[in-house]
Amino acid sequence: MRARLFVTEAFRSIAANLSTSVAAVMTVLIGMFLLGLFIALGSWVISWTNHVKKDLVVDVYFCTELTCGTEATTKEINAVKLQLDQNPDVKSYKFVSKDDAWEEMKDRFPELTENAPRNPLPASYEVIPEDADQVQAIAASLQPPPVGVETVKYGEKKAERVLQVAKIIGGIFLVGSLILLVASTILIANTIRLSIFSRRREIEVMKLVGASNWFVRAPFMLEGLLCGLAGSILAVVLLLLAKELALPGIMGRIESPGDIQAWNFPVVALILIVMSLLVGAFGSGITLRRFLRI
Amino acid sequence: MQEADLTEQLEQPGAATAALNGDPAESATAVDPADPAAAPSEAPMIVFEAVTKVYDPNVVALREASFVIEKGEFVFLVGPSGSGKSTIMRLLLKELDPTDGRIIVGGRELARLRRSKVPMLRRNLGCVFQDFKLLTDRTAYDNVAYALKVQGDSKTQIRAKVPEILALVGLGSKMTNVPHELSGGEQQRVSIARAFVNHPPLLICDEPTGNLDPDTSVGIMQLLYRINRTGTTVVMATHDREMVDKMRKRVIALEEGVVVRDERRGGYG
Ligand SMILES: Nc1ncnc2c1ncn2[C@@H]1O[C@H](COP(=O)(O)OP(=O)(O)O)[C@@H](O)[C@H]1O
Ligand SMILES: [Mg+2]
Repeated sequence: MRARLFVTEAFRSIAANLSTSVAAVMTVLIGMFLLGLFIALGSWVISWTNHVKKDLVVDVYFCTELTCGTEATTKEINAVKLQLDQNPDVKSYKFVSKDDAWEEMKDRFPELTENAPRNPLPASYEVIPEDADQVQAIAASLQPPPVGVETVKYGEKKAERVLQVAKIIGGIFLVGSLILLVASTILIANTIRLSIFSRRREIEVMKLVGASNWFVRAPFMLEGLLCGLAGSILAVVLLLLAKELALPGIMGRIESPGDIQAWNFPVVALILIVMSLLVGAFGSGITLRRFLRI
Repeated sequence: MQEADLTEQLEQPGAATAALNGDPAESATAVDPADPAAAPSEAPMIVFEAVTKVYDPNVVALREASFVIEKGEFVFLVGPSGSGKSTIMRLLLKELDPTDGRIIVGGRELARLRRSKVPMLRRNLGCVFQDFKLLTDRTAYDNVAYALKVQGDSKTQIRAKVPEILALVGLGSKMTNVPHELSGGEQQRVSIARAFVNHPPLLICDEPTGNLDPDTSVGIMQLLYRINRTGTTVVMATHDREMVDKMRKRVIALEEGVVVRDERRGGYG
């Protein structure tokens, strides 16, 4: 019974203060759209960083007839395996046999392998470190190369620099998101404050005829909630449009391996909507407190 | 019309007066704002005991004001601008708390009234102001209905009470007009209808005729007088010397926050 009255009052008030309501919805829309864009972009960068990190491996190439004069023996290979097993910096490793390497080569560069007389490629261990920063340490632990190992290679300077840039971008994203979050909260709070300030006389009258604080507050909070809902749904629709229309055009030009992905869109949308609802409702409720002390 | 004895004129029972009259005795006993059972019916409506109000930073608006207003009385509060009349009204509504002294309304000491009970106090205390204090985006009907909604009246109750009280104040044909479509006198009638729709035991009016021309003022006074005749205690702050002199009702005069005169059948002085 009460609930229906509050809903009626809230809609009445939205209609009566249409320009303020529209302003509030727009504020939420802009804030949430930018935040959503940032979250999507940021999570894409994080995902990309992880991808680059995955590339940071140490390759241990074994001897072949071509490089050392003799092929590495199984014993020598097992000795290296033992060393990797004992190294705490090593997360995992994968043995790539001569045949595996040849198959991969065939897949990637068919024209090069077509008329090769035999397989010149070495067997290798692909070593993934616990942390990307440890590639250098792992490579160093294999210096000088054990018997049967031709060379030890790791992601070198290029990958390291990429990682550094990614770290900076990630930091910028984090700070940017926080600033955007604070800015949109302040913006929304300010819109609410202005809207309530312009209606403080109305609130005073309500209190003078015996309305309890909750009777005044509930429709206001509901109104904030509805504006937040409307604004964030519009923002989500805009983000969806951006994702469906603009993104393919941009992404088509960037080489992007399949394991790089922005966050799940429904999750981002849900976060934005829930945040807007909370800011709308509690923002109104808290702002109102000052004006209810009559 | 203004020349004749106003009191006598007002006593002519018109149709509306008859409806308003109801049972004065019954209205007069339902006094306690917060809890009707708590106060004995002989208790005064309002007691001010050496009430002092100092505003920040250092404005003394009321200085040890003491008076007692009985149930069913009609009392004028007179005094120049800034003498503390509005302060008394705001204290009665517990919009303000006194700096010192005691205020008792309907047997209940306001200082002991919890914040959460203030809405209950106000639902039993009609108030009318110089600036009407109507909700500007609502019709006359909705303004009056709001006072009923806040206390949880059902739609059925509201539909029964609002048209009746609006007809009573002479606005039966303007229920769907919003305040800016009404004259000052009409707006004040809406605000009186809102204040009286609950038939509160006490009605306080802060210069209700302050913004109105003399003829319109007489109409408003007639309405307040008829409300008083139903047993409702009416306290009215005013500047209107002529009105006070004609009514020959009790007058409490203030000067710089001090009660300087309290006469049973006084004039403006
Ligand atoms: N909110 C306030 N803050 C400070 N001083 C006030 C406030 N309200 C009223 N006053 C002062 O208190 C005195 C009494 O004011 P008021 O009760 O409004 O008088 P009246 O209604 O008789 O004109 C005046 O001097 C006025 O300036
Ligand atoms: Mg005043």
